[in-house]
Amino acid sequence: MCVTAIVTLAITLIFRTSFTTNFAQGVISAFGAYVASFVITKWEFPVLIAIPVSMIVSMGVAILVDVGLFRRGRYVNALSKQIITMGLISIVTGLTPVIFGEVEQYMINSIVKDNFTIDVPGDVDISVTYNALVCVAITAVIIPLIFILLRYSKWGLSVRATASNEYIAGMMGINTHVVTAVSWGLAGALGALAAYMRASEVKVVTTYFMTDYQVSAFLAGILGGFSTFHGPVICALLIPLAENLVMAIFNILGLSELTRWSKVIIYAIALVIIFAKPQGIFGKKIEKKV
Amino acid sequence: MARILANSYHSKLVKLRRALDFHKEELKALDTKYDEIVERKLNAFLKNANRRLSKLAFEACDKNEYARFVLEEKLQRYDVKAYMSHRAVNHGAAKRIFKAIRDGASFDDILTDRAEKMQRIAEKRAAYVRSLEKDRDSFISKTGSSDSKAYDAERAALEAAYLEEEKALKELYQAKIDKERADIEAKIAKLEDEISKIKASSSTDHSLPDDVLLSVKGLKMYFGGLKAVDDLTFDVKKGEIFGLIGPNGAGKTTVFNCITRFYDATGGDMYFENKYGEVVDLRSFKVHDIILQGIGRTFQNIELVKEISVIENLLVASTRSYKTGFIGHVFALPSLKKEEKLLRAKAMKILKFMGLESYASWYAMGLPYGILKKVEIARALMADAKLIIMDEPAAGLNDSETAELTETIRKIRDKFGVTILLVEHDMGLVMNVCDTVCAISFGQMLAIGTTEEIQQNKAVQEAYLGVKEDD
Amino acid sequence: MNRYLQKNYALFNREVKTDDKFTEGIRKLVRTPSLQYLLFGVLMCVVGFLATQKILPYSWQSAFASTFAYAIASIGFCLLMGYSGLASLGTGGFIGIGTYAVHYVMVEAKLPFFVALLAAIGVSVLIGLIVGFISLRIEGIYLVILTLALSEILKTLYAAIEPKLTLSMKDALIFGQRLPTTMSLTLVMVFLVIVMIITSNLINSPTGRAMLAMKNSTAAAQAMGISLIKYRLMSFVICTAYASITGVMLMMVMRSADATDPTGYYALITSLNILAAVIIGGYKSIWGAVFGTFIMYGIKLVIFNQIPFLANNSLIITLASGVLVIIIAMYYPGGLAQLLLEAKTKISAIIKKMKEDKYGKDLG
Repeated sequence: MCVTAIVTLAITLIFRTSFTTNFAQGVISAFGAYVASFVITKWEFPVLIAIPVSMIVSMGVAILVDVGLFRRGRYVNALSKQIITMGLISIVTGLTPVIFGEVEQYMINSIVKDNFTIDVPGDVDISVTYNALVCVAITAVIIPLIFILLRYSKWGLSVRATASNEYIAGMMGINTHVVTAVSWGLAGALGALAAYMRASEVKVVTTYFMTDYQVSAFLAGILGGFSTFHGPVICALLIPLAENLVMAIFNILGLSELTRWSKVIIYAIALVIIFAKPQGIFGKKIEKKV
Repeated sequence: MARILANSYHSKLVKLRRALDFHKEELKALDTKYDEIVERKLNAFLKNANRRLSKLAFEACDKNEYARFVLEEKLQRYDVKAYMSHRAVNHGAAKRIFKAIRDGASFDDILTDRAEKMQRIAEKRAAYVRSLEKDRDSFISKTGSSDSKAYDAERAALEAAYLEEEKALKELYQAKIDKERADIEAKIAKLEDEISKIKASSSTDHSLPDDVLLSVKGLKMYFGGLKAVDDLTFDVKKGEIFGLIGPNGAGKTTVFNCITRFYDATGGDMYFENKYGEVVDLRSFKVHDIILQGIGRTFQNIELVKEISVIENLLVASTRSYKTGFIGHVFALPSLKKEEKLLRAKAMKILKFMGLESYASWYAMGLPYGILKKVEIARALMADAKLIIMDEPAAGLNDSETAELTETIRKIRDKFGVTILLVEHDMGLVMNVCDTVCAISFGQMLAIGTTEEIQQNKAVQEAYLGVKEDD
Repeated sequence: MNRYLQKNYALFNREVKTDDKFTEGIRKLVRTPSLQYLLFGVLMCVVGFLATQKILPYSWQSAFASTFAYAIASIGFCLLMGYSGLASLGTGGFIGIGTYAVHYVMVEAKLPFFVALLAAIGVSVLIGLIVGFISLRIEGIYLVILTLALSEILKTLYAAIEPKLTLSMKDALIFGQRLPTTMSLTLVMVFLVIVMIITSNLINSPTGRAMLAMKNSTAAAQAMGISLIKYRLMSFVICTAYASITGVMLMMVMRSADATDPTGYYALITSLNILAAVIIGGYKSIWGAVFGTFIMYGIKLVIFNQIPFLANNSLIITLASGVLVIIIAMYYPGGLAQLLLEAKTKISAIIKKMKEDKYGKDLG
């Protein structure tokens, strides 16, 4: 849930400033996780250093993509940007093992060890790891921080200006190139953080292990409406909640074999909502001119 | 429920009319249908005749003359080839001379080299001429004198035969044409009968005065609180050129979009006498069905498909005229090919009328703006439109192109009998071409009348030039 | 006397075109797209036969079979993107329809192949209709993401209805006969050629023009009597149906499918690869789509696996294809079709230059 929220924020940032869907978000994040695990296992650095290092590397990669690829193309439009990010998937997938060697040897430790169990009435006990709590805490700090930055800082203002109209923002003296580059960097860093959080739960890093989150993030973005920053993030938080709710309802009704349908149900509901309100739950309607 | 019924009635009618239109088009093309076959057969005849005549012609000609002729022709061909080697030698020499000048060396030997090469070429030619002359002499000594009588007789006979053949073929196909015409006419009569039955079963209670084509009554279009068009009423008469003018934001384009059903009007009525002569309520049609009633439109920014040719762009407008359905398109059935041929002929006719036939196979991308405007008008004509709505036709045109456009608009009105409704900023064009002008401002009617009346009108002047304030 | 010599011996002085019927006919035949496709199909079948005889590498036959199975989906996507101007990332999910149809109809219910095919097409038509209706309300990049979400829904749906996640089938029966693995390429080619011919007919018909008009401007298309709903639904239905045929073919060729595999048939990566294939090939050309698919899938299986060094370092191929995709997206938006055209004009320019160098400029 926290992972999805952070990834969604990253994707929304890129969508708003570069007007494209970054399909490579997943692999760039995974790349960050590889860096972190490499730093921990090979150099035996503590976790608290590994995470910032991985975030910085991911940031670097993301900025490189924006500066090195997006601005150089002869004909770069939204579609070709998408294709470029798709090409990136192949490149990162191909490069990662070359840089880091065999995939399986990387295991990631939790940020904090140990776990405790909460007793709830019913058959199932909910087991909570401290690790998960730390993740929630990090998310709870990071996301409001970025929203405050977006709302009140000068950088946030230029990002919002660029998002509403890149051309006019450029004419108003905003260096849109810097804005997009910073957004990409931030998205890369956020991705690496999210990937580490994810890795600390599943203890294994693979190139594709962020793809599912990326897809959920896209869905959340559409559901919340990409025209705002808060909509996607709220939906990213809501979707897993709703999914768990459906699961819980099935459990209470004693239909536990139906729980595997819960994701389908939630997605179908999301689809219906989008069909009814194409601009997203929080999105603003744009009148089309003929 | 009534709407569903009305729709089913329409769809049945649409189908019948499509068939009817197809047969009418077939009828039009019938006269020239077999021309190609006749032409091919006559050509085959001619080919045979010419082969025989060429043999006799050789017998008939003066052999000395003939030999000279052959020699000349061969020599000419040789010279064309020799020209290339001349050029190569000259070019190479020039290049080397430039190099020599740069290097500071003398270029005497280059010149001698060139002269030698030229000499060799000349010698070669002389040798060729000698060999040709030898051939000629041997030819003349072998063949006898000329005899033109056989040739003349044969030629006269063949000419007569040819005329006879032509006549016979024409008669044969004329009979076929007559039979087919009768068939098609029977089909048309049957279809018309069915249509009239359907029409009789559903009475239309709308009516318009005889000379009115389109009647807009109390048209309202509100966007939220914004009244883009408010209670607008006007009539467009048959065969006139009707101009809708007004300052920016007056709601002209909104009126257009209401008539063509891009916007669903908030209130008001629009009645139109469609191309089948019945009065219909435009508000009961979907936007893509408007064209079937006989309303075509052009766009302010040209909206042609850039990736296909001009003639195919015209065919886009007749997408709804195809009787063949999806299956026919998937398997490229012969019926599709037949229809395609008919419609292509029709499109070609329209392009010819617009003076665009030389552009027919050009891609729409990259053609000049003025041409594209004409193509758009041709596209509207392709759908047999009775009313053509033009959105700022003069936008982006220079003076001479505007003058040409004025001419075109008049021409299509006179030839095709279409009525034209145009929205325009260019007052020159409006005052030049329009019969009636309607001026609107902020969605409301200011004045309607002839161009002179509008020019004199105080309210219009104020709307355009601003209110005169007392000092 | 000269009048007998200068062609005025002809009747009425009319010249007759004396074209050679035979060569003209051959030229016309070669230019017919359907015949080209047919020739291509026969050629590939011959390659498959040679591969089974081990004259050519044996692995080619399944490599080509799976590649051209994907090409069917690419052609559908080509129609969707190049002609209707819509895009979708649901290909992976749609392929799943086909594989599951084969699983349920042929493996579980033991019904013949054509029932499975019809079932796959039937279901995909339904899904296509849903996406088509969505596309009426949502456009552009949002539609892309939404189809991605739909594909995800389908994927979770597959996982939900079939918990064991891996499909497999031992025998593939066609006309009551066991389909030997050596014939799978022939089967795929039959379907590919049919799909190519149908698509080519369609894009050259009024339907194709209507789709292009719709892509160019929805307003103008509607004013010309083109119903958006009809053609949007049509293109999505065709695209989905083709993708489901791909699923059926893949199942017939590979005989197994795994829903959990992150690089499997239903994964996002499949949809992205098909999109990339169409972009690489040039998104308006059927040959381009086939060729692009060959680059994305086939080149690795067919050529690189034959080279020992590359076969051991398959990641280099992944890397190279990524670089290729990026270069084409950045510099050649028209794909390889455009690249070929540019190369052609350049070569003719070079030839002209060489001629001028030799003979000098023609002044007359």
